[in-house]
Amino acid sequence: MIYKRSDLGNNIGFNSMIDKKFKTCSLAVYFLTELSDDTAAANNLAASILTVSSSKYKTYAALSEKLSELYGAGLGSSARKKGDAQILGLRASWIHNRYAIDGEDIGGEMRQLIRDCIFSPNAENGAFDEKSFAMVKKDLIDRIDGKLNQKRSYALSQAAKLAYRGEPAEGTGYGSKEAALSATPEEAFRAYRELLKTAQIEIYYVSPEEDDGFAEMFRTSFAGIDRQPKPVSVRNHSPLKAEVETVSEEFDVNQCKAVLAFKTDSDDRYALKMLSIIYGELPFSKLFLNVREKMSLCYYCASRSISVKGTFFVDLGVERSNIEKAKAEILAQLEEVKKGNITDYEMQGALMALDNAVLQVGDTPISYIGWYLDCFCDGEAITPEEHFNRFKAVTKERIVEAANSLKLDSIYLMLNKEVQA
Amino acid sequence: MMNKEILTSARTGDSCIHVKHSSGLDIYICEMNDFSSIEALIGTKYGSVNNIFKNAADSDYTTVPEGIAHFLEHKLFENEDCGVFELYARTGASCNAFTSFDKTCYLFSCSKNYEENLKILLEFVQKPYFTKENVDKEMGIIGQEIKMTNDNPEWRVFFNMLRGMYHNHPIKIDIVGTADSIAQIDADLLYKCYDAFYNLNNMVLSIAGNISADKVLEICDKYLKPSEDKGLETVFPDEPAEIVTAEITEKQPVGASIFQLGYKCTPSKGEQRLKDVAAASTAAALITDPALPMCERLLKEEIINSTFDGEVFYGGGYFTVYFSGESDRPRDIREAVFAEIERLINEGIREKDFQRIKKTAYGMMIRGLNNVEAVANLMLTAHMDNVGPYDTIDVLSDLTCDDVIDYMRREMRPDRSVLSVITKEA
Repeated sequence: MIYKRSDLGNNIGFNSMIDKKFKTCSLAVYFLTELSDDTAAANNLAASILTVSSSKYKTYAALSEKLSELYGAGLGSSARKKGDAQILGLRASWIHNRYAIDGEDIGGEMRQLIRDCIFSPNAENGAFDEKSFAMVKKDLIDRIDGKLNQKRSYALSQAAKLAYRGEPAEGTGYGSKEAALSATPEEAFRAYRELLKTAQIEIYYVSPEEDDGFAEMFRTSFAGIDRQPKPVSVRNHSPLKAEVETVSEEFDVNQCKAVLAFKTDSDDRYALKMLSIIYGELPFSKLFLNVREKMSLCYYCASRSISVKGTFFVDLGVERSNIEKAKAEILAQLEEVKKGNITDYEMQGALMALDNAVLQVGDTPISYIGWYLDCFCDGEAITPEEHFNRFKAVTKERIVEAANSLKLDSIYLMLNKEVQA
Repeated sequence: MMNKEILTSARTGDSCIHVKHSSGLDIYICEMNDFSSIEALIGTKYGSVNNIFKNAADSDYTTVPEGIAHFLEHKLFENEDCGVFELYARTGASCNAFTSFDKTCYLFSCSKNYEENLKILLEFVQKPYFTKENVDKEMGIIGQEIKMTNDNPEWRVFFNMLRGMYHNHPIKIDIVGTADSIAQIDADLLYKCYDAFYNLNNMVLSIAGNISADKVLEICDKYLKPSEDKGLETVFPDEPAEIVTAEITEKQPVGASIFQLGYKCTPSKGEQRLKDVAAASTAAALITDPALPMCERLLKEEIINSTFDGEVFYGGGYFTVYFSGESDRPRDIREAVFAEIERLINEGIREKDFQRIKKTAYGMMIRGLNNVEAVANLMLTAHMDNVGPYDTIDVLSDLTCDDVIDYMRREMRPDRSVLSVITKEA
């Protein structure tokens, strides 16, 4: 694989990854901006609308027809948060020209189509096209409402809201329902202009063959835009609450969910990740072996480290009558790590799992893109191998120190209505 | 002794090796040496629907409790001396398993030590260890899994649709079973099921990625214990063509109401099934195509959103084409789908639209061949369906508009449709 990052000027990076093993080409354009409840929904709507119509393909039907003619080329948007930043994405993928049955220039057509979508959107007089806007607005509102459909991710999202209260990361990456309901085509268009002007922009292109066409298209297209990029702060540790706070909600569910949020002042993200693997990410971790296998309390009980926010979550699905028992065991297992009860087998297992995972970066176009985007957010471009070497350097002492830095901050509970504790 | 053949796709140039191993196991190998990862699955043709079975030598059929295939999958992860997860922790592989309606698969994914990982996989699936203690311990874990799946509205809406379609076929039964059904499971029953279904003649190994075919076969030769084909038979109760009920609605604590609208179609096998799947998938793609007027109107009237989608679901004795998504007006969608199918049958499919849909399906297949995990899954699934891994591409190229129209006319009948809805609580 040949990786190259070119600066297109005005804080726009063009990352190209040429890897001959792929049969497809992928392009991703990411806009990084401050996460704020005031702008999150409008930003999301702006990014979404770019993928449903353009000045050339004025309806979703026309754009969809064109994409299916190009062998079902994919075009979509995304909105998520990382720390206190909002990352808006526009992603496309298509099969390489060599697989075109009728010899079409799929790559060339996609270049023009993407250029039109981003730089010549379906807008007039300072507002996006109303029909396209109505469609993406409904999608966004449904997505916000639909959060509750997935109980585990809903519980995690509510736990984050509680843990990050008063911080930008309190919200989701796609904005509040109130903001989505009140958004207008004019507001979304202003958000679009603002993103082009002020967002940090990183572009990723993965292809089996070298092709300067995309870099050139972006260079030319951005040349006409007055860029005044604003710095984005991704990494901000969340402060610990003065007292552990518990929030619960009741629903007519069969299984209760519990999420424990811990805070840390440690910046040792490599030790925190190793801690998370040993404590609760894999089937040989302490939480799996004890809370699930030994005590049969749950189907899943897992941890995750969100180092950009200095936060560490543990979540599980459990009977209401067993919540306290499970919580006691979760804390007891953490005490074990704090006391240094980490075996060589656990250390080795964590490293082996990381080694395998790191080596798999590059086996799919999206893993390349994800890797280099994370590097950009962390402000440091390193190879997966260098990344792994930093894990190898983590000692038991550093993991114990990381574990001792964790302080329980808050607890979110999704409870069922029928059974009283 | 083994029979070895090379399977190739004339269209894409991709190829893989199929071996009928002397142990009885079918083996598929795809060397993808430009990739770093390796994905391996060993699967048995044993899923939640296989609850009545016998070997040729048995006089009577055995009937086992619902959810036992899934329970067995959980328990096979424990050896006498240690758990399988512990063995894989030493190699760094990520391992997992899943039980579906018609298969149980054990898999690992890694980028190092594949030889050792393959040895672990082959050994543990041939070495069951069930005791009263380890079976009892699993009850609580699976009990929680059952509750978790019952809180999953996508799962509920799907099973409700199947319950609306099938009178007798066990496809309507939840894969994980119920608290009552799993309570009947004990070590003896697990051994009985294991002995019947985990015979290598009933199984397949599929491995793709950065591997050497020779090395894979060498490991198979060393660790596979020859299995005698005992003539396993599974039976399903007779199933009428008619549905049970046209509509099922359930209230759940959801934020967005969801629906599935499915057609109960005639089940088929082998090559015929491949043709039916191609025709049904194309029909589903046409109905859900945002470029066509029906979807355009439903989107404009805010009856559907971008989650509207169509799929084909099939196996031994069952076949359905279904549409799903989020909507507060699922009956309007049903009406629109009925009308659109009638319109397509009467007016025909525009050649231009048909070619676009075919190109999209072809593009999806090319994407699948771009990915180690997808290739390993493709080889396994194709074998279980009694077809070759690249046959779909050929069947798709031969598919005509008339085939699709004919399929819609025969199978996508309003009186064979079931609407399943999960609505928000008041």
